[in-house]
Amino acid sequence: MSSTEQSKTKLNQTPTTQRMSWIHKGELTLIERLSANILKAGPMPKHVAFIMDGNRRYARKLHVERQQGHTQGFDKLAETLRWCLNLEIREVTVYAFSIENFKRAKDEVDGLMELARQKFSRLLDEQEDLEKHGVCIRVLGDLTLLPLDIQKLIAQAVLATKHHNKCFLNVCFAYTSRHEITNAVKEAAWGVEQGLIKPSDVSEFLLDECLYTNNSPDPDLLIRTSGEVRLSDFLLWQTTYSCLVFQSILWPEYSFWNLCEAILQYQLNHQALQKARDQHAEARVLQQLEADRCCAADLLQQTGLGKPVDPQLRQEALQKYTAEREERVHSFLTALQEKRDRFFTDLNKGFIASAKA
Amino acid sequence: MKWHSQSIFLSGGAFKNWNAALYEWLKIRQKIFLRLYMMAVVYEFVWRMLHALLHLQRTILSWFRISIWNWNWRLWRRAVAAVQVPAVFGFQNHTYNNKKSCGRVRWKSDGKSLEKLPLHVGLLIAEEEPRYTDIANLVVWCMAVGISYVSVYDNQGIFRRNNSRLMDEILKQQQELLGLDSLKYSVEFLNNSNDKPEQQVLSCQATVKVLSPDDGKPGIVTAAQKFCQLVEQQQQRSTDLDVNMLDSLLRGTKGMPDPDLVMKFGTVDSTLGFLPWHIRLAEIISLPSHINITYEDFFSALKCYAGCEQRLGK
Repeated sequence: MSSTEQSKTKLNQTPTTQRMSWIHKGELTLIERLSANILKAGPMPKHVAFIMDGNRRYARKLHVERQQGHTQGFDKLAETLRWCLNLEIREVTVYAFSIENFKRAKDEVDGLMELARQKFSRLLDEQEDLEKHGVCIRVLGDLTLLPLDIQKLIAQAVLATKHHNKCFLNVCFAYTSRHEITNAVKEAAWGVEQGLIKPSDVSEFLLDECLYTNNSPDPDLLIRTSGEVRLSDFLLWQTTYSCLVFQSILWPEYSFWNLCEAILQYQLNHQALQKARDQHAEARVLQQLEADRCCAADLLQQTGLGKPVDPQLRQEALQKYTAEREERVHSFLTALQEKRDRFFTDLNKGFIASAKA
Repeated sequence: MKWHSQSIFLSGGAFKNWNAALYEWLKIRQKIFLRLYMMAVVYEFVWRMLHALLHLQRTILSWFRISIWNWNWRLWRRAVAAVQVPAVFGFQNHTYNNKKSCGRVRWKSDGKSLEKLPLHVGLLIAEEEPRYTDIANLVVWCMAVGISYVSVYDNQGIFRRNNSRLMDEILKQQQELLGLDSLKYSVEFLNNSNDKPEQQVLSCQATVKVLSPDDGKPGIVTAAQKFCQLVEQQQQRSTDLDVNMLDSLLRGTKGMPDPDLVMKFGTVDSTLGFLPWHIRLAEIISLPSHINITYEDFFSALKCYAGCEQRLGK
């Protein structure tokens, strides 16, 4: 049987209930478990990001509707999450829908929105299961671009799983990295407008915290399927020191062995990337110190009366300035988090109100 | 009394049973721990063997590549020597010049033969010790093939610190590889100062820029600070910012277009901080090393780029 026929048979054999679920019910085979244990002897990525590319090409290959390709893609996601849990990879980020994808044909976009509606509703039905596995779901992107009912479903899902902390799934929906970075800069500018921070307080650390991914560490490993070798506006800021693995398999055909291959590549790159990351972190600390020193010196000059400043005074001024800056940044980030939480709770209230009406 | 002795007997017996049970339980626990420990040792051993094999494979492949290059070079030298022996004095020079001019003509036609040529190529050197001659070769090949913008990047800022050495090497290789035609191929070196470039050229064929990690995230932070200053001075509102505005803040006045192709040299599978904002749609093609890189390898990467299809979300 050719691989196309095998895939088609498998498509027809999977029961419908399993096909819709977020949590795949299945355990690894013995040989898969053995391989997992061997891999776990080395450094394992704690956060993996997936660009799930190839659904439409898969549908064309099997001569089925595009929508079926996307549905299969979702099922593969559920299966991959199960593998990641077995491999003790606690955080997964996936690129589900890009802002650029709105350019697609209307019926395809509507189909994808309908799929999203079904999946997020299903999520609410599976709350007990999610609680049992401690899955926290976050949806990243410019949610205001989505239809209101989907926004409300998302808000419910996010709020319902907010306090789970065993594993994390970040779904990038209506997302592009440039929009995310622009939004982060806008938030920083909002902070300046509100008088919470100064322009000189804006740093790499601050922008990190203003991104949609502020609650996640940077991905250790980024996997893109279907053979394309570009990032397509996905996590550009966060993946600067991640291991990039490009695999030619189509997403709905992804297997446990493909995942193992990617992790192996991560392990081969681990030392070099760790070194590069540490160098960058050191450079960042030095840059911040230098920036603080300049600002403190400027302040001293302004308050001083043109007299030369002794080193002791300079050091004290630097420490005082650094403490004040950190205080400002902390209160700004608290205000930002409250603003974000309010967005979801307001949507949720609207959802409950409209459900009651 | 009887009851008391019986109870002592019973409790003594119970105590013995309990002791025996505890002893059994401990033995089982010990066996389980031992088994787990042995399994962990075995898995670790297998993992180490696997990685040793992979490293060996990598070393053999790179040795193989270098050997083939050396073998080819020795073959070429023997061929030249064979020609030289019966040659007239001028014949040798003529052959050498012929080879160079054949190369130049070929490079130009190679560039035209591709379905699409990148406008801007980023050379990402992810190796510990860069070789300036090889990098200069790559830059000159890019120019010869018809690529208008080339950037050179390394993770530690080595090229930025040795900017002038790299530029001298590029100019030297330009002379050597392009010969008399080198005046047609003028190079503009972009540096980060706001002064106008010193070389005034009539037809600027290529622009070369040397980049370091400071042009990546720190560049975005600087643009963000600039915008926040405008907001503070109430010349802008925070809600005015969109992707295009941030893009133009980042690009500045002497902006280069976004890289279409990133040629990554080295075995590290990462962009290592190379222009995160600008590479959103760049194809990332990996080559094992820039040391002794041949034109054929370089051109095969360009062919690979020409075959990529960009759907841009559609």
